[in-house]
Amino acid sequence: MSTATERHRRSPTATVGLDEGVSPRSFRLLALVGVLVLTASYVSVLQGVTAVVGGTQQLLTVVFVMGVGATVFARAIRPRTATLLALTAGGLGFAYYLTVSGIGIGAVFSATDRLLSDTVALVTGLEVVRMVEAGVWTLGFAPGPVFLSWYLALRRRYVLSVAVGGFALLFLVLTGDATGVTPLVGTLGAIATVGFGELERRRGTIAQADVLVVLFAAMVVLSLSITFVPGGTAGPTFLVESDDDGTLEGSVTGSQERSQITGSVDLSPEVRFTVRSEESSYWRTGVYDRFAGDAWIRTGQEDPYDGPISSPPGPTDPVRQTVFVETDTGVMPTAPHPITIEGDATANTLVTTHDQVVPDGPLIEGDVYNVESAFVNASPDDLREAGTDYPEDVRETYLQTTEGTSSAFEAETAAVVADAETPYETAVAIETHLRTSKSYSLNVTKPDGNVAEAFLLEMDEGYCVYFATTMVQMLRTEDVPARYVTGYTTGQQVDDNEWVVRGLDAHAWVEVYFPDHGWVAFEPTPPSERDDEHDQRLEDARDGGESNVDTDASEPVPVGDTPPAGVTDADAPDGETTGPDATNETFDPTDLPAAPGSSAESLGSDNDSGETPTRPEGALGPEDFDDDLLEDPPENESGGDDDREGGTGGIALETLAVGLALAVGLAAGAHRSGATARVTREAHLHWNGRQRTPARDVERAYDRLELLLARRYRSRKPAESPRQYLAALSSLRSLDPRVERVERLYERARYGETVSREEADEAVALVDAMVRERLPLVGRFFR
Amino acid sequence: MTDADTTHRYEDSQQSVDPLSVADASQLCTDIAENVSRVIVGHDDEIEHVVTAIVARGHVLLEDVPGVGKTMLARAIATSIDCTFRRVQFTPDLLPSDITGVNVFNQKNRDFEFQPGPVFANVVLGDEINRAPPKTQAALLEAMEEEQVTVDGTTRRLPQPFTVVATQNAIEPDRTYDLPFAEIDRFMKKLTLGYPDAAAESEMLARTVGNHPIESLEPVADVTDIRRARETVAGVTVSEPVREYATRLAAYTRNHARLGVSPRGTIALVRAAQARAVLEGREYVLPDDLQYEAPLVLSHRVRAAETNADAARAGATVVANALERVPVE
Repeated sequence: MSTATERHRRSPTATVGLDEGVSPRSFRLLALVGVLVLTASYVSVLQGVTAVVGGTQQLLTVVFVMGVGATVFARAIRPRTATLLALTAGGLGFAYYLTVSGIGIGAVFSATDRLLSDTVALVTGLEVVRMVEAGVWTLGFAPGPVFLSWYLALRRRYVLSVAVGGFALLFLVLTGDATGVTPLVGTLGAIATVGFGELERRRGTIAQADVLVVLFAAMVVLSLSITFVPGGTAGPTFLVESDDDGTLEGSVTGSQERSQITGSVDLSPEVRFTVRSEESSYWRTGVYDRFAGDAWIRTGQEDPYDGPISSPPGPTDPVRQTVFVETDTGVMPTAPHPITIEGDATANTLVTTHDQVVPDGPLIEGDVYNVESAFVNASPDDLREAGTDYPEDVRETYLQTTEGTSSAFEAETAAVVADAETPYETAVAIETHLRTSKSYSLNVTKPDGNVAEAFLLEMDEGYCVYFATTMVQMLRTEDVPARYVTGYTTGQQVDDNEWVVRGLDAHAWVEVYFPDHGWVAFEPTPPSERDDEHDQRLEDARDGGESNVDTDASEPVPVGDTPPAGVTDADAPDGETTGPDATNETFDPTDLPAAPGSSAESLGSDNDSGETPTRPEGALGPEDFDDDLLEDPPENESGGDDDREGGTGGIALETLAVGLALAVGLAAGAHRSGATARVTREAHLHWNGRQRTPARDVERAYDRLELLLARRYRSRKPAESPRQYLAALSSLRSLDPRVERVERLYERARYGETVSREEADEAVALVDAMVRERLPLVGRFFR
Repeated sequence: MTDADTTHRYEDSQQSVDPLSVADASQLCTDIAENVSRVIVGHDDEIEHVVTAIVARGHVLLEDVPGVGKTMLARAIATSIDCTFRRVQFTPDLLPSDITGVNVFNQKNRDFEFQPGPVFANVVLGDEINRAPPKTQAALLEAMEEEQVTVDGTTRRLPQPFTVVATQNAIEPDRTYDLPFAEIDRFMKKLTLGYPDAAAESEMLARTVGNHPIESLEPVADVTDIRRARETVAGVTVSEPVREYATRLAAYTRNHARLGVSPRGTIALVRAAQARAVLEGREYVLPDDLQYEAPLVLSHRVRAAETNADAARAGATVVANALERVPVE
């Protein structure tokens, strides 16, 4: 029977057979599945946004209703009406968004330029998740494309359907929300839709689907190796090993818009900058308000710095600093809360909606700038009495938790703060709890899902990112506005008013809002453990003779002896990095010994300026400059190894995917070009296969003979009997009598009763002989 | 001759016989064909077709203009086989009983006695069959298919072998009755003799000057030989691929004509191919045999066009296409 199948493959009628096998209906089904995949791809992106800001259920409901609506209306209304409906839905959603976000529908006319610039900002890489009313935005965005693309697909307008769905996906790709595999899956869905739709229309065969497979494979391979999307994962991240996040510093100050929480990190001992300041302080570089489970996101955009930033609402003390940049960096450390910036950098300074200054483009070694900051001057008693009369915008922005925060997390938090009566006591209770119950370690495995929950409920150790993240989320579940801030600890004191700050001083901590005072810092990370680890790293680096570890000023001062911060803080006697406690001597007298780490440093951040000019892609994190700083610190081998392992795990998976796609694509391509068939035939020609029944052997021998003759002259037409075929060939030239002999044996084997074993062997031997003489075959065929 | 006698006489011919060897059967057919070709010049292929039809238990329809030797062919074959030969000239007033025979009252023994019609013969020539009305033509139906005749409720077996060679006049279609399709389907093959070429005609003239060669034609086989040859043909192997090929051919005609080949047609095709294989001394049927027989066996069974004249051509075209398109495996 396999002979018959082989013939089938060679004969054009085989295609006819397949034709009947696959109906256009199946192709239609596949095309619709493609549309569903495309839709699912961008809806999943939107769902990723709502998972952070809330509203997943509403989003899915909207999508479902739109899908059902499109199905119902598919036959009832004309495409024009459907387009109008979709546009109306989109317009209503947009209007609703404008209303909710407080801009007002009138802005469409009064502030067209602002809306345009917002849109431009979006498509040049402002992630949707960073928008102020991201949830409402997704609800407004989703219905139009979902409805229209499904409607069009049901009406067999696959290309238009894909255009609509593709537009939605493209928009999200441009905003940078859709990254990684999602756009790829969506694109594959789109290609499948168009391809299968075309096959359906042209009544193609399944054999022609190999073209699609080639396309798929090309897409996968290309998209994984070439990326052009701005703001998204720039660069082929899994083909080139990147260690952007390999250090604690890269992790906490790596990106201005999104601070990803990672697993194990290294410490970079290199000097980043030197600060000359009236007071010691933590040097803040970033403020984040939105928690996405495994990352912190800064909502809103930046405005150019022009003039003093508004000061905290309560009493403050001015603190002047001068910052000397020692290595190129993408951050602008200042003591919280910066009010004025002076120096060359001023022109290139941006202010975020959270009143944090960031450089517009990297600062380079040698840059100097002066900062005047306002330290919040409030005693614990003041803070205790601050009450809970939070401004509306603070409530809206700084109380966000991820959807589905577990009741266990809330219960644990409630237990921790059971005795606290005021927000200040709540904050102190949480701070104390975290400091005492968890250990400090740079060597952790990043948990899946919500990092805060995992750290509070399951993990025993972590580093500042974990402590700070968890504390913010705990505070928020207790309705205390809090935010996650990043930057550097005080650093090594080298003079009365001078500190050297290194990469290993990178840090994350917490700021809590108190009405009439502003943002006050808290330090949930156990300071002494942290210092031990960090000092060890610095000493190792010095012993190892690593470069850039010290400045002229810092060198002579032994690490252990650094006096400053510890001196000022009763609870953190050791080390320069004790925390915000150390930062403000003016506040020191009021610091309660009983309230360890209750931080004094504070700075107002009262108004969210909604100003959102387009920000160029300049605010790259310092990862560009980190690369050379990360080379295998030998003493951190375990941490480094873990990190690398995690990396290679990812690489292996992605490589596997690429390899698989490549293999499938090549196979389909080979099939398309007939290469596989040729190879099979060649093998078949030379090898008769193992012995079976005499009849089968003769049949195979004859098949080989036919291949031989086909190569020499022409192949047998399907409707030609073997005998006619040879007759036709011999009318051109007389054939080798052996050919005729084999053909007669074949007739006997196939149509007659039997052939004997001897005859079968004879046929095989004859064909073997002819195959071997194949080059001078023509001559042999002439008698 | 009594009824009992008749029955007895024909029961002889119902007894089973041993098949000839393929070689002998092949020789027999060749002998007959050669013998006939002494009388019919320049139609060797057609003679072969008639001979194979006979050993394949088929009937033959010859369609042609008058005077090309249709009747002579039938006579020559009957003579070569040394069997009973009857000829029926079909006319518009011919009655069915003129073919089958009637019960006649015998005055002497005061009983009805069956008077067999011309159909009781080994070879029956139905001359100009399309001149008789359908009713009369239909009388041949039972005889051809069942090889038996029923008169007044009594069924009588026909002699073995029993072969109808009918001729029909392609000219003067106005005064003819179209053969019922059911009847056309019962003919294994429909042949056209056509005019002999110049050389063959000259040769024919040379032979027919003086005594017609039919007068001196000697039999080369007997009825038993034919029956044994028929057994041989029936025993020829038809392998699965060949059967499938025949099915595909039939299916093709069904898909490409208003009325395709009936299953009876497929059976006829395979039988004819078996006979062809025997003629070539083979014990098994090749697709080539089917291809060789298909035009004559299938064409008249395919209704592709409305009018009769077109139908013949169109049917042949459909069958030719089938042979071009249907894959051999």
